Amino acid sequence: MSEVTGAVARARLALPARLVEGGRAYFWVAAAIAVVPAISADPYFIHILILSMMHAALVSSWNLLTGYAGLFSFGHQAFFGLGAYVSALMAMRLGLSPWLTLFAGGVVAAGAGLLIALPCLRLRAPPYIAIATLGFAEICRFVATNLVGLTRGELGLWGIPEMTALTVPGVGTLSFTGQRVPYFYLMLGLWVAIMALLYRLIRSPFGLALKSVRDSQDAAESLGVDITRTKVAAFVISAFLAGLVGSFYAHYVLILTPSAVLSVGVMVEIVAMTLVGGLGTFLGPTLGAFTLTLMLEYLRALGEYRLLIYGALLIVIILFMPEGAVQRLLPRRARF
Amino acid sequence: MIEQLFNGLVSGAVYALMASGLSLIWGTLKMLNFAHGEFYMLGGFGVYLGLLLAGFSPLLAVPLAMLGAGVVGIVAGRLVIHPLLDQPGWDVSPVIATLGLSILFQNLALHLWGERFKNIPYYIEGGVDLLGIRMAWQRVLIVAVTVVMIAVVVIALRRTWWGRALRATAQDRDAAMLAGINVYAVYLWTMGLAAALAALAAAMLAPIYSVNPWMGTALLLKAFIVCVLGGLGSLGGAILGGILLGTTESLTVILWSSEWKDVVAFVLLILVLWVRPAGLLGTREW
Repeated sequence: MSEVTGAVARARLALPARLVEGGRAYFWVAAAIAVVPAISADPYFIHILILSMMHAALVSSWNLLTGYAGLFSFGHQAFFGLGAYVSALMAMRLGLSPWLTLFAGGVVAAGAGLLIALPCLRLRAPPYIAIATLGFAEICRFVATNLVGLTRGELGLWGIPEMTALTVPGVGTLSFTGQRVPYFYLMLGLWVAIMALLYRLIRSPFGLALKSVRDSQDAAESLGVDITRTKVAAFVISAFLAGLVGSFYAHYVLILTPSAVLSVGVMVEIVAMTLVGGLGTFLGPTLGAFTLTLMLEYLRALGEYRLLIYGALLIVIILFMPEGAVQRLLPRRARF
Repeated sequence: MIEQLFNGLVSGAVYALMASGLSLIWGTLKMLNFAHGEFYMLGGFGVYLGLLLAGFSPLLAVPLAMLGAGVVGIVAGRLVIHPLLDQPGWDVSPVIATLGLSILFQNLALHLWGERFKNIPYYIEGGVDLLGIRMAWQRVLIVAVTVVMIAVVVIALRRTWWGRALRATAQDRDAAMLAGINVYAVYLWTMGLAAALAALAAAMLAPIYSVNPWMGTALLLKAFIVCVLGGLGSLGGAILGGILLGTTESLTVILWSSEWKDVVAFVLLILVLWVRPAGLLGTREW
């Protein structure tokens, strides 16, 4: 932990605050990451970077719902897992191109988001929303486990097709079969697109509406914010993005089990990454996702003590630095 | 058929024990305890250690397990929940803190006692023939112990000074403080009592299932459903909801299949939240 935070602290000294500020920091980070495959051909490192970007995108989509709109969803794994299963099954059983099913997974997840948004509209207390969304996610997990004929249940759905070759004008044909680097650039593209979209959303009047619903529903309503529409939109957008990331996961990892993509464990990781980075901040989820993913991969030596440390980390952070561990090390102007 | 319904009553009783603890915590502290499943798990291991390692009789091992879990509940409350009280973000912070506790306890148990499932002998062997079906004494015992325990809690809440202090804190925390009640002490005792109730549930169920580090996870989710069915914060609701969920599950097994009973339970949860978020007995009634 100290090594990672130390690195962040050094980065802070090296970068003028102007560059870290706001969303621009993202494009510097993305540009820095984009050149990694040119420097290091280590497939393991590339793999970890793909996972980090995937987590960053997933956690940011949850952050829109929970950090900005204040809707304490505890069932984000439902959207991620639904996207993964829908995209994989459509590509396998209907023979559709993964490029198409990638978005189909997102759309189905968005539909699920709409469905679970409806009972949540009446609920104001965050714990109630947490229970409702958690219940929904558990339904998805049990259905995926029980429909053995369709999903093979806990035996695992394998034989998911990889992304099909893509012809890029000027570059040539990109084949994804057994390759990491094309997946790396696909995830980078998805991640940058998702972050750009979220950045625009949060800065827009819709973003202000989200924050007003979070801070005071009554005040928001009296100022003419359409609370129902705002909440439903937050659920649908957040679910779509999570479903998109889930679809990518399916065609990258190529095997799905309900306990890997639909269990509460996914949610625990999302919460932990957000907390490490800082809830309701734009940079927080990304910092948390990269910190925890890199840390957990390179601290494999800890082996079975990993989860023990995970639990302790959650408690320590919520007790002593609820605004996020990494956020503390950044200049105040970069926090927003 | 009758046997299935009786089994539903047995699981309903266990759900009620779990849910009443959760509901007490919700009623006084206004928080969800995600570590409740682990209080249950610790109770299971407590009984296992007392019975099989120390060689105590169940009459000694079960109360000791409850006491142990109660102490863990109080200590966890003091160390983790107490510092978060009166801080901003109380809506979310205890959920995350108890989630951390839950992961911590599960993995501590894994390291201390291993992942092998531990079996515990029945407290009473044999069974009784009633209404044309054979009921194991162990299952009859679960229902009886639950009824007695909940009656004791209800009487204690109504008659003792401590119970009145708890109810006063639940109704209006500031007024209770003005009346000279140390609400922070009440919070800790509530955590302890809830943990002891969960441990009792585990102690009674352990001979039928087995003891392992993950035994609390599924039951915690069921207890959430029960609390919402009955109305969070209502003790009567927790009992009613427990019986309702247990019966619904056994009816699902009779009419459909046992694999889908959990799906039915969670669909029921979302329907109740949609139609009547306050639950069946949404008014606080202790």
